[in-house]
Amino acid sequence: MNSFKPVLTEHIHEQECHTLSFYKSVDGYSALEKVLKMDPKKVIQEVKDSNLRGRGGAGFSTGVKWGFIPKDSPKPTYLVNNADESEPGTFKDRLLMNKAPHQMLEGMIIAAYAIGCQTAFIYIRGEFYKEYQLLEKVMAEAYENNLLGQNILGSNYSLNVVIHRGAGAYICGEETGLIESLEGKRGWPRIKPPFPAIEGYLQCPTIVNNVETLSCLPHIINRGADWFKSIGPEKGPGPRLFCISGRVNNPGVFEEPMGISLNNLIFDRAGGIPDGKNLKAVFPGGSSSAILTAEEALDVNMDFDELVEKGSMLGSAGVIVMDETVDMVQACLNIARFYAHESCGQCTPCREGTAWLVKMLTRLVNGSGTPTDIDMIFEITDNIGGLIDFSKGSFGKTICPFGEAVAWPVRSFVEKFKDEFLKYLPQEKVIA
Amino acid sequence: MNSNGTPNEKFTFTDRDKVEKILSQYPDKKSATLPLLHLAQSEKGYISGTVINTVGGLVDCHPAVVMDCVSFYTMFYTKPHGRHIIQVCQTLSCSLNGADALVDCVENKYGIKPGETSEDDRFTLMKVECLGSCGTAPVVQINKDYHEGLSPEKFDDLLESLP
Amino acid sequence: MPLIKIDDKEIQVESGTTVLQTAEANGIEIPQYCYHPALEIVGSCRMCLVQVEGMPKLQVSCNTFVGDVPPDRKVEGKYDMVIHTQNNLVVQERKNILEFLLLNHPLDCPVCDQAGECLLQDYSFKFGSAHSRFEEEKRVRPNEYLGSQIVINHNRCILCSRCVRFTQEISGTSELFVEARGYKSKIAALEDRPLDNLLAGNVADICPVGALLSTDYIHKNRIWNLEKQPSVCQDCSVGCNVDVFSRKNQNFRLTARENQDVNGYFMCDIGRYGFHRFEEIDRVVQPMMRNGETFEALDWDKAIQKTAKLIEQAKEKTARIGSPFHTNESNFLLGQMMAGILGSLPPILGEEINYPSGFRISTDRSPNLRGMTDICGEIPENFLFELNDRNICGLYILDDGVDRDLDDVWKDILARMDFVIVQSYAMTDLAKSAHIVLPGLAPFEREGTITNDQGRVQWLRPSLPVQGEAKPDWEILALVMKEMHPEQQPMQDISQVMKEMGAKFPAYKDISFFRLGSTGISLNGSDEA
Repeated sequence: MNSFKPVLTEHIHEQECHTLSFYKSVDGYSALEKVLKMDPKKVIQEVKDSNLRGRGGAGFSTGVKWGFIPKDSPKPTYLVNNADESEPGTFKDRLLMNKAPHQMLEGMIIAAYAIGCQTAFIYIRGEFYKEYQLLEKVMAEAYENNLLGQNILGSNYSLNVVIHRGAGAYICGEETGLIESLEGKRGWPRIKPPFPAIEGYLQCPTIVNNVETLSCLPHIINRGADWFKSIGPEKGPGPRLFCISGRVNNPGVFEEPMGISLNNLIFDRAGGIPDGKNLKAVFPGGSSSAILTAEEALDVNMDFDELVEKGSMLGSAGVIVMDETVDMVQACLNIARFYAHESCGQCTPCREGTAWLVKMLTRLVNGSGTPTDIDMIFEITDNIGGLIDFSKGSFGKTICPFGEAVAWPVRSFVEKFKDEFLKYLPQEKVIA
Repeated sequence: MNSNGTPNEKFTFTDRDKVEKILSQYPDKKSATLPLLHLAQSEKGYISGTVINTVGGLVDCHPAVVMDCVSFYTMFYTKPHGRHIIQVCQTLSCSLNGADALVDCVENKYGIKPGETSEDDRFTLMKVECLGSCGTAPVVQINKDYHEGLSPEKFDDLLESLP
Repeated sequence: MPLIKIDDKEIQVESGTTVLQTAEANGIEIPQYCYHPALEIVGSCRMCLVQVEGMPKLQVSCNTFVGDVPPDRKVEGKYDMVIHTQNNLVVQERKNILEFLLLNHPLDCPVCDQAGECLLQDYSFKFGSAHSRFEEEKRVRPNEYLGSQIVINHNRCILCSRCVRFTQEISGTSELFVEARGYKSKIAALEDRPLDNLLAGNVADICPVGALLSTDYIHKNRIWNLEKQPSVCQDCSVGCNVDVFSRKNQNFRLTARENQDVNGYFMCDIGRYGFHRFEEIDRVVQPMMRNGETFEALDWDKAIQKTAKLIEQAKEKTARIGSPFHTNESNFLLGQMMAGILGSLPPILGEEINYPSGFRISTDRSPNLRGMTDICGEIPENFLFELNDRNICGLYILDDGVDRDLDDVWKDILARMDFVIVQSYAMTDLAKSAHIVLPGLAPFEREGTITNDQGRVQWLRPSLPVQGEAKPDWEILALVMKEMHPEQQPMQDISQVMKEMGAKFPAYKDISFFRLGSTGISLNGSDEA
């Protein structure tokens, strides 16, 4: 595993790695040249065959998503590069934009070509101002060098890319919330159906892909779907950027094959836990995933399906490590407060439920909790985001997955560390 | 209801070329709302009622709809702030790595709580949610710049250096 | 046509209908807040969640469309969709959503106008839990005026966003918006652009709870004290269908009534608040005869006798003036009553307003111009010229009421006449210039038919009792006719008038209250019988 040669972040330590000239010196845009001579349908098939799954959080098959674009729509198709990285624990897209922007752009052009799009957008979160400025320069370079604009590299294909800055809303990372924001409105997610691939931006077919997902595309084209599929588990393969933060010695972004063990990530790559403390709990996939206890974390591989079996998810691969010094109740409140702040407020369970959770947890932390509160947390999270046990059927009562995103982590804190919550109750009220 | 400045006063963009460029980039005028608001805020410092009226006119939209949009996003301010807006990330990774100490730094030294502006208009303190740089926690954004991996001492020095 | 099963009912529906529409059309109640048939579907209240077999999550029935599925995917071999609206999962879900909605909702029922017609009350009673488990502090905000007619109580608002969508889609004026996000969301309007368009009153109608309230009606009464009478608005020629709420001899409010052929679901504020102008007026409730500068009361018999005598003496030197503010029946009898030319006063006009949704306020501010022109008989083109040319010396006028101001031309004409008989409900300028005033009914006391400008005949129904000795206008005319032609059979009731009307004017031959019902009949024959 340690001998894995990075694919996406191969050159990030080089000087000028963000420039066009550097990128071209390492075979940059050769995949694009190849693609421009291919039938777009073949490009979609290649990506389908590679089993590439979205790296934004949902993990949906990219090729299949592209396939949803209606074949004979008179409306223009749009591609949106989702660079609204706001999931707590996730910071990989920022790295890619800073250090390998042309790789991302090449991926964008390939995707746009495959789905027949003439205007594409990069929706970048408003706070990433430096990255925005860099991307403007990158775009300019690309236009000057016939990589964007009319007749790219002498082909019949033309593409225009517009960089659109967000303005501080986590929910605008959700694809329909993003599309609403792109249209100039508040980022309220839309009800589905209709799905964005049919009716998205301006009611036209739209595909939203993550920065990392797009960055994988040049490599899939150049080295083939089979190569990609051979890295890690076949159902969810490929090189993956894992972010590790929290209580670790060397937090950062580490590129590893999918399926690497979480143990390895935390203790080998991230240098383990400072001051010799013990691991207590881990978020495997950003704060929207259920936490794993130390025991569970040390026994799992970072794979889409395996993590689902363990009752959590891979999500954005934003690993947040919590050690024995971390108070689980405070951590739970911290996460609940994040979601209450970011809730868009459109639908009832999320708007009211997240605030209820915060109020209840705050009261608990301040010493006025009651035993029924603990049970209520389960009830409230179930009512917002549904049961974590997918096999039991219905889950999620909200318009968008935000409901699940708040329910799963908060519930998992209480489920797995109930004794810590009980300790906050005024002692005479606790029945052992 | 909101008071949004005098409706009769107009806000005029300084960088007219940029406004034209923004409007021409999108297939639909309304999509230009966010970039125009960003531009106006960078010119005026905040989004006033006059800005809303002007932007509404440019994107062919009722001012109330523009206000609807403005009030949704945390990066748009509807009233003036200090010269340096200090945004301390308080989400999990930063919180686990000393974000609270940084907030205390500002509170103790400059006497302002989150949401407040110092008397001399130098600093506004805010607690914000995940800034997307958890690997270098704790992170503080001051105006447009990220300051990462701050210790209270480094933060202190940084603040002192700001005019 | 797709075949679906909802609970235990098998229903065939048109492809593209939603589950919610189908359920409502088949007597299955699914609670809902944010859905409104005239507005865009948002699916945000989550109250209409139902279980659809084959889908893992509960689905919002307002946005679940029924369509044909391929045979291999049909449920139980024959259904395109199977839906459960009463099983444990759905029942529990409704309780949960209601609990969430009531978290910050104040226990205001005793002081809230909406009580008795509140969907939150109704659904809590039918679908909710007996108590809430919320023990935290409720969020409290002060009330605000969104416009001069609408006040919002933020604590009661459930953020269904119907009002916001209304101002965006129906009135097109976009005054309302949602401010902030998440828990801090609230409905707002810009201070310099309040909610003051002419459709503003509708937001209080469509608000499912007591958040948006009409300042005109606030705290005036309780819905269960009021009588509701379906009728038609009389403030312009569109003829919006309304419900008039009254108690004893006072009207309290009007709300819009649905009629897809006239006004959709809404009405304008002119009609909504217009009833107030009939409240403090100088009513005429007895026949009056002029004596110099004053009027003296007389009894009906004498009044009718004198009237008939004056008309008979003048023979063809009389003119009759109909009114587009009176019903078809009154105008018809006026036409039948005597010889002499027919005319009308100048029309009362206002601004025509067309809204993006198709809702319209007409420039003609009388309710029955079409009916009057259809039913009165022939009105010469230059009536004023004819008046002079034929040396008309006597007028019988159906007064337009408090809406009419006289101009100088008409003041002269009236001054010149030997006699002027005015049938009116108030001492208007016109009535004051008469020799005999016969007391008719005020607009909300009248019954009859009126025809809107699209040719739809509608049933105008009274919501206030008759005052004093006033009589229905058609009856007064019938009495005069009887006095003048004692040999003829007198009209006994309004249905008889309508029959005669239909006999003389074939377009109106099938008009009867029974057939008009609550939505009226189109003269263009575009309705199904």
